[in-house]
Amino acid sequence: MSKQSRKSAKRLPPDVDTSLLPRNAESGEAILPSEQPGYYSGYSTLSQQAYWDRTTRDLVNDRVKNIPRIRHFDAQSARFWRAVFDHILPQTDRVPERRIPLLERLDERLYSNRGVGYRYEKMPPDREAYRLGEIAINAESQSRYSADFVDLPHLQQDIILQSIHDGKPAAAKEIWKQMPIGRFWLLLLQDAIEAYYSHPWAWDEIGFGGPAYPRAYTRLERGEPEPWEVEEQRYEWGAPRYSVSDTTESTHHLHTESRQNESIPDESQ
Amino acid sequence: MKTPLLGPFRSKGNGHHSLGPMQHIDVPMRRYRDTDEVDYLIVGCGSAGGVLLQRLSRAGFRVVALEAGPFWNTERDWVSDESGSHKLYWEDLRITGGTDPLAFGANNSGKGVGGGSVHWAAFAPRFHPSDFEVYTRDGLGADWPFKYEILRPYYEQLELEMPVAGPAHFPWGDPHGYPYGPHPMGGVGNALIKGCSALGIPVSIGGPVAILSGSRADRPHCIYRGYCIQGCKVGAKASTLITHVPDAISNGAEVRDYSMAYRIELGRNGRVAGVHYFDRDGAAWFQRAKAVIVSGYAIETPRLLLNSACPGHENGLANSSDTVGRFLMAQAGNVVLGRFDQPVRMYKAPPAHALTEEFYETDPRNDFARGFAIQTVGPLPIAFAKQMVSAKRAWGWGLRREMMDYNHWASFGLLGEILPWPDNRVTLSEERDQFGIRAPHISFSLHDNDHKLIKGAKNKTMEVMRAAGATEVAQEARYAHLVGAARMGNDPRTSVVDKFGRTHDIANLFVCDGSILPTQGSANPGLTIQALAARTADYLIAQGTTIFSSSKRDQAEPPMRRNLAPPDTWGHGVPRLK
Repeated sequence: MSKQSRKSAKRLPPDVDTSLLPRNAESGEAILPSEQPGYYSGYSTLSQQAYWDRTTRDLVNDRVKNIPRIRHFDAQSARFWRAVFDHILPQTDRVPERRIPLLERLDERLYSNRGVGYRYEKMPPDREAYRLGEIAINAESQSRYSADFVDLPHLQQDIILQSIHDGKPAAAKEIWKQMPIGRFWLLLLQDAIEAYYSHPWAWDEIGFGGPAYPRAYTRLERGEPEPWEVEEQRYEWGAPRYSVSDTTESTHHLHTESRQNESIPDESQ
Repeated sequence: MKTPLLGPFRSKGNGHHSLGPMQHIDVPMRRYRDTDEVDYLIVGCGSAGGVLLQRLSRAGFRVVALEAGPFWNTERDWVSDESGSHKLYWEDLRITGGTDPLAFGANNSGKGVGGGSVHWAAFAPRFHPSDFEVYTRDGLGADWPFKYEILRPYYEQLELEMPVAGPAHFPWGDPHGYPYGPHPMGGVGNALIKGCSALGIPVSIGGPVAILSGSRADRPHCIYRGYCIQGCKVGAKASTLITHVPDAISNGAEVRDYSMAYRIELGRNGRVAGVHYFDRDGAAWFQRAKAVIVSGYAIETPRLLLNSACPGHENGLANSSDTVGRFLMAQAGNVVLGRFDQPVRMYKAPPAHALTEEFYETDPRNDFARGFAIQTVGPLPIAFAKQMVSAKRAWGWGLRREMMDYNHWASFGLLGEILPWPDNRVTLSEERDQFGIRAPHISFSLHDNDHKLIKGAKNKTMEVMRAAGATEVAQEARYAHLVGAARMGNDPRTSVVDKFGRTHDIANLFVCDGSILPTQGSANPGLTIQALAARTADYLIAQGTTIFSSSKRDQAEPPMRRNLAPPDTWGHGVPRLK
């Protein structure tokens, strides 16, 4: 058990019950939220910013300090997508003031109508994809549990999203005909990833060195840390009891960009 | 809790650290008026455009390059940050389809002076002699209109101009060595060496990569920060922005940034008269020129030719063969990820630092023609997280967990030759970009040989990863590089340009970039694109002013003009007195 989780054990955020928290793999007890989950306790990329170039420093600090306000989504859609992103990249292991804003980054992208440089011919434009996605996920919730997504208990929300992930929806077939479900799922994941893993708190969590210009990295071999990095301190943890998203597959045929060697399920509908 | 080994390094300075004198272009740039008829107007100032601009201006021609993106101030504009580097990439609307649609955007085509050479990982291998005669040898794909030996001196020359770091002996293709020393190994390179060595596979260590392993004049050496594809702020990685454009400007060339070409104008005499373009405010301009060279890369080049359709050329300029846009190629770029018990920290060192081309050639024991390379890649967190989503179907807590192990993973990229097929093509979509120009539609589908090759390449790459000691191996399908779509050839019925890049249809219209490649091998195309540009420049210079008035098509190979290279690239050796 790492010191940081012991240290933070005093506080339980009001919006989190222990069934939503990762557990100690041995004792099964909830690991209470901390400022910095992960295996690199005490590591801070931001503490190194005096060694970064000015443009990078300004950009990263702006990302931490200035959270864009919601301008694209209306209140209802914002509430919906916030709930979805709480599952796509859950952050109940972080204390509230150290959670990384995801929805605001997506909203800013959609508000400025900024694409990623291409669109699959079978996909609608991103704003439309999110509009259709909200309808389809709510239809899935209604079909399985007779309630809108935001009104479902946490575990049922997770199960709904798992069905989208698996490409096995029970409802909204007409929407998934216009929009391949696998590509829609990747769009969600990519937007969540862009927000979470561009944040220096996530770099601290995973032990990534972050910006290194003009100072340089010098210990290239054998995964050794720089003098200003820290060594890994692993601890074993289990996913929260009320979640289904902790399973991964390591299969060699999986792919996303193409049918390369197998058929892609979502486009064969 | 463990603190950083040397303490937390709390801020002492105020961020005014510097690597010393970075290259600054403090010469004034010449500005032409659009009423001036310049000699050569180059559309796109990237890998090919930058080299052409440099050679032609040094030879005394009046040259302007139109560049859709900005002229970078690297210290001000670039960042050590994945999410903050999107402006380096061509992210205008493209519609992608076919059975195996390509992803565009990030690290795929560049925008801004230097083009793709700003964000390439800078692997700079040569093509093999076999690449120039794929059809003759294998009965598939196409032959080039010339042999490897024609391009060899240009390979040698550009390896000096970039320059390329790598081993003193590179055993594959036409064996050769590299002018700059090999780079030290990062964790991923070590894994590749270990895996290859365990299986008896030769491996190239420390290159070939166009990144300085030692400083060169005012360009500092590599600092191994890992953000190569986010633009090298250091100036160690070669891009035409720093290798060729400065010399071009000193010689009177103009780079006109934020200039988006949308139509090539055909004059009444059947020759092109100039190019229409939009500035950053959307205002339309026309630049007159005696000859036009399109260097917009494999999507924008055919798009511009197709968008320039006019009476007499209803299917697009230079398209009497109906091959403009066809035979588009991307290489299979599957990423194979391996988890190791010991940390790897793959964000250190350039992503490109070791490779093997042992499987490059056709092997009769395989059920496919042609082959593949295996190379190091070093995805940063955002790219890696997306790979975990694809390779392991991770999401939610599973994704958080995989990402906490980021430092335990190494990744190899295979680079597999996909053959040129007529149905892999760029056409015009009905949708329009931010300027109102018709957006490109790209259709891409794998064929039988491609499927088999990818399967074989994937299995071999995973075998190497396991042999390196990975306890878990996963892979993600993806593609890398874009070439073809305006291919060169001797037959005007089946190709767009001749062996020097001159369009078969219009005597003063040229194409020079990756789109003229008839086949692509399993080598990264950057060096070959620049070598072709230097050779086309030598041809244009040898032809003098006949290009501007005559339709005479001289097919004689031009003499190589080493003395037109940027200063200090040659002439430093053991003197031999005559």
